[in-house]
Amino acid sequence: MRPRIVQRMNETVSKLPAGSPSSEATLLRSVHAADAPVDSPELWLGVHIPDPGAVSLERLATSAQRFTPRVSLVAPDGLLLEVKGSLHLFGGTDGLIRALANECGTVGIEPAIALAPTPLAAMVAARAGKPFIVTNKAQLIGRLSAVPLAPLRWPQDVVERLARMGVRTIGQALRLPRAGFARRFGPEQLAELDRLTGRNADLRHHFQPRERFRRRRELTYELESNEALLAVLAPLLADLGKFLQERQCGITELECRLRHRHAPPSRCILRLAAPLAQVARLTELLGERLSALTLPEPVRSCELRSGLPVLRVLASNPLWQPGEYGGSGGPEAPELIERLRARLGHEAVYGLQMLAGHRPENTWSIREPAPVNGSRAAYDAGSRSTPFQSTQAVPPSSSLSASAWPAFRRPLWLVHSPQQLEEVDGVPRRRGALRFFGDVERIETGWWDGGDVGRDYYTVFDIYGIQLWIFRERAEPHRWFLHGVFG
Amino acid sequence: MSVNSELARLLEHPAIWRGTSVARTETLPTGFGALDERLPGRGWPRSGLIEILVSRFGVGELTLLLPALAALTRRPMARWCVWVAPPLEPFAPSLAAHGVVLERLLVIRPPAAHRRGSRNGILWAFEQSLGSGACDIAMAWARRPRAKEIRRLQLAAERGRTLGVLFRPQQAARESSYAALRMTLVPCAHGVRVTLLKSRGGVRGSVDLSLQGATHALHGG
Repeated sequence: MRPRIVQRMNETVSKLPAGSPSSEATLLRSVHAADAPVDSPELWLGVHIPDPGAVSLERLATSAQRFTPRVSLVAPDGLLLEVKGSLHLFGGTDGLIRALANECGTVGIEPAIALAPTPLAAMVAARAGKPFIVTNKAQLIGRLSAVPLAPLRWPQDVVERLARMGVRTIGQALRLPRAGFARRFGPEQLAELDRLTGRNADLRHHFQPRERFRRRRELTYELESNEALLAVLAPLLADLGKFLQERQCGITELECRLRHRHAPPSRCILRLAAPLAQVARLTELLGERLSALTLPEPVRSCELRSGLPVLRVLASNPLWQPGEYGGSGGPEAPELIERLRARLGHEAVYGLQMLAGHRPENTWSIREPAPVNGSRAAYDAGSRSTPFQSTQAVPPSSSLSASAWPAFRRPLWLVHSPQQLEEVDGVPRRRGALRFFGDVERIETGWWDGGDVGRDYYTVFDIYGIQLWIFRERAEPHRWFLHGVFG
Repeated sequence: MSVNSELARLLEHPAIWRGTSVARTETLPTGFGALDERLPGRGWPRSGLIEILVSRFGVGELTLLLPALAALTRRPMARWCVWVAPPLEPFAPSLAAHGVVLERLLVIRPPAAHRRGSRNGILWAFEQSLGSGACDIAMAWARRPRAKEIRRLQLAAERGRTLGVLFRPQQAARESSYAALRMTLVPCAHGVRVTLLKSRGGVRGSVDLSLQGATHALHGG
């Protein structure tokens, strides 16, 4: 039978016959000294990338922020991660290192990783390429001793002079007298050794990811149709979605630039009322805009630029589907209004409200659509007193009318500005003779706001059986007007 | 006998839908008993498109829907009640007096530039409202929707679990339509005569309704 080989971090190779009772897990757990109690205030993971290929260090640092917010760049080929606080989240040092190696593996990179209580030590150990996992500060100098000087990347002549003295490892350099070392090789090198061992503090700048999303795609062909644009933009939008998800952010502004051969670039700017991160909706809204765009020339390249990302507050999803057992519109309600207004204009969508007044045209007005949580509040108010008795949930504004307005004498439709009716011998007509029905009602005055009226309202049927609400002016010349349809 | 009972038991399986009984669809009482009896599931469907064809605007189509509007907007956690391109202004005090909660109403008036052609704002806004899942009911007054567009509206209404009501002139009765329920309204002696042209699983035919009576009954006079 073939022996199974368990290998981890190029470090420990153990052979055990297949079918051995000891499982991999127990074996692996016993290998390391790394599981010794951690006593250092910081733990740094040095990541050395010998062959970064096409992947930029910034991009790796952005992915590495998954593991810790404290990521530093060490140009040109290294990253440092402070992971003390993250260890327990990833199953200790082993789990974290494995997760990081996997993350790098997804972009095709094989890094060398080392763990040490100081950042420089971690970086140097990673560059040295030997397995190096030290969580205890007391063990640091001992473990560093064997590491050669080359990974420190000191100037060539310094390394050569040290080599002529027979000093080839860090341990040997540390044993040299400090004053003489500084005089011969420069204070910078001594300071570096102090940072290496943790004698002096080593402050690192934390990597800040790019604030805005900006990505461009060059096309190998010329694109003429608006419909195909969205397909070309799809990978960029997918990148944008990932960018936003990593930051838990949404955007309120997105610009799409389309470059042409001669003409100046076409720009298409999307502005949103609320921060948005869902790629599907962004695609939908952008498609809406792009379909209205006229292209002066075929498109040669396209670019997406986001505005400043805004932190998104995520809401809980309701238990019920909308419309199911009283499930409310939830997030769909503002989305609908936003989408309608994006295309039809702001004024095209409105709500209704009642005003205190006695002239029909002054008893109502348009308003901003009520916020969604209004229904939730009404629901809460209703459920406190008598659960599921919906009459309780009717806001007081609408009960105002029930007593003051006899419902059956008011039409459901109002003509915005009263329409004058033709008359024959003082009798009004509309598409034929009108049949009068019911009582007359007088509505008058309004001198205090300049809207003085004096009207006698009648209910009539026209020849088609439609019930109308008409009035006759009390003042001369006693014209007749149509003011409502009962519907 | 035993075969019959076995058949009856088989037919109780929830996956089997029978022609004349669609009691499993969720419905909402219309507020008019005589009409409820004729409709499949004894009421307006909670989702899907219905077409109301009127002889003239104002014949009583809104009064017919009032009890449903009041019931839908007064529910706890009610969704929007959308009016797309109504011909006149909905008179808020009168609606409120009939029990409609004004906070839940949303009026959409596409500007004139969006009313015609391929980018018909009315049908677009109606379809968006139906499909969004944010509305309990959406009503539209559209001029001449084509059969293909009505098919899209019907699908959107089912997707958004919304009751869509499309008001059209009576002449459209001759055209075929994908709507789940179609009816014509013409005035009669004391109200309107409702004729069911198409009713999935319901009974076709006419019924005379007294709209005045219904309005009074709702408010106790």
